[in-house]
Amino acid sequence: MVKMAREDFVPVAMDDWYQRRRKDAEGEFFRGVANQGPRKGDGGGTRQGVYAFTAGGKLLAYRNHGDPIIMRDEVAKALKKFNALPEAERKPGAVTVPDIEEAKLDKQYHRAPPKDALILRQHGRVLEKGDSGDMESCKEIPSGVRGIYSSRDMVWITADEWRSLVPADVKAGQTIELPAKVVERLCRFHLLDNTRGEPPMWSKEQIRRSAMTLTVDKVTPQQVTMTLRGAALMTTDADDKKADRGFDCTILGTAVFDRTTKAFTAFNFVALGDAWGEGGLDKGARPGRNPLGIVFEQVSGKDPADKVAPQAAREVGAYLGRY
Amino acid sequence: MGSSARKSLMIVLAVVSFAGPALAVEPLKLEEQLPKLIAAIKPKPEESKWLSIPWETSLWTARQKATAEGKPILLWEMDGNPLGCT
Repeated sequence: MVKMAREDFVPVAMDDWYQRRRKDAEGEFFRGVANQGPRKGDGGGTRQGVYAFTAGGKLLAYRNHGDPIIMRDEVAKALKKFNALPEAERKPGAVTVPDIEEAKLDKQYHRAPPKDALILRQHGRVLEKGDSGDMESCKEIPSGVRGIYSSRDMVWITADEWRSLVPADVKAGQTIELPAKVVERLCRFHLLDNTRGEPPMWSKEQIRRSAMTLTVDKVTPQQVTMTLRGAALMTTDADDKKADRGFDCTILGTAVFDRTTKAFTAFNFVALGDAWGEGGLDKGARPGRNPLGIVFEQVSGKDPADKVAPQAAREVGAYLGRY
Repeated sequence: MGSSARKSLMIVLAVVSFAGPALAVEPLKLEEQLPKLIAAIKPKPEESKWLSIPWETSLWTARQKATAEGKPILLWEMDGNPLGCT
């Protein structure tokens, strides 16, 4: 399957939430393809699944099945169908696909990173204490419990926000607080257990404690090296002992700012703490309070995967702290 | 250190100190802890084979590439981008 996807297709991964709603050429093209299959999205419903189709929009296959063998066979059949098409439909350049003007993109449902944003990739995983005393990935989880694998999300920090982290007169020993909007964004939308699917995001009121501070360790003409330290507590009840869901964590990491290019070259940190509870869409949590680790690492923004929007950016105004 | 920065750092230290004994997880204190922890959290090679696929994240770009290369498009469409959401 991986070989076919790499070599015989142009693979693309999309968020149906945006694609089924967007009112522009890309949205119309997608719906035109999906409408040839069983998922016609009646009443705005989901069109999730795996589709194979031509650049001209002819559907070759659609399936949404959990069995990888079934999916592999379906994709192989689609490739066979493609190769059986008249050459005029499949040869390079058979279809003209012009660029879409930026102004014609659906502003409400086209999501791209803010200009010059600092982009972080996030991975979370449930952990357990190993024999050595160190935190380790869980080797197995009890029956009925889900979410042993590493989760993914993206983080956006706007240009104004990250530029504020390095003052012009930066000195070793100085401490710099992360902007309140960044702390709130991390707490509400990223310091959570998304290992079993989409969890409820935290409300502003559910942030019970939060502090994140950069300490300048070293300043040279070329770069500034800093340590990020922090702690946060998010709970569904003001009394964390009564809260049915929560995350109580400490944060540690490093940041390196290149003074020549005036950009961060590393902004990496880890949140580690106790997580508990579950929401309506992410059942199957381990009973009680258990270790959860979340890694945040800066990415270049050049890889197509770096441009995927944070899950919480569906409500982009709230995500960026505009309201 | 400005007074607000000092206050913030004190909150961090207070929270870290306070958090220790009550939690199943020891607070993070040392950078030396990080490499092993990061390795434990990030996807293992056996979880990441699908990431060796050069996924595009724009359907329109995929269309342009497909017509240029004479290939069909394979679209993985989920409620939450598979490359970004859980």
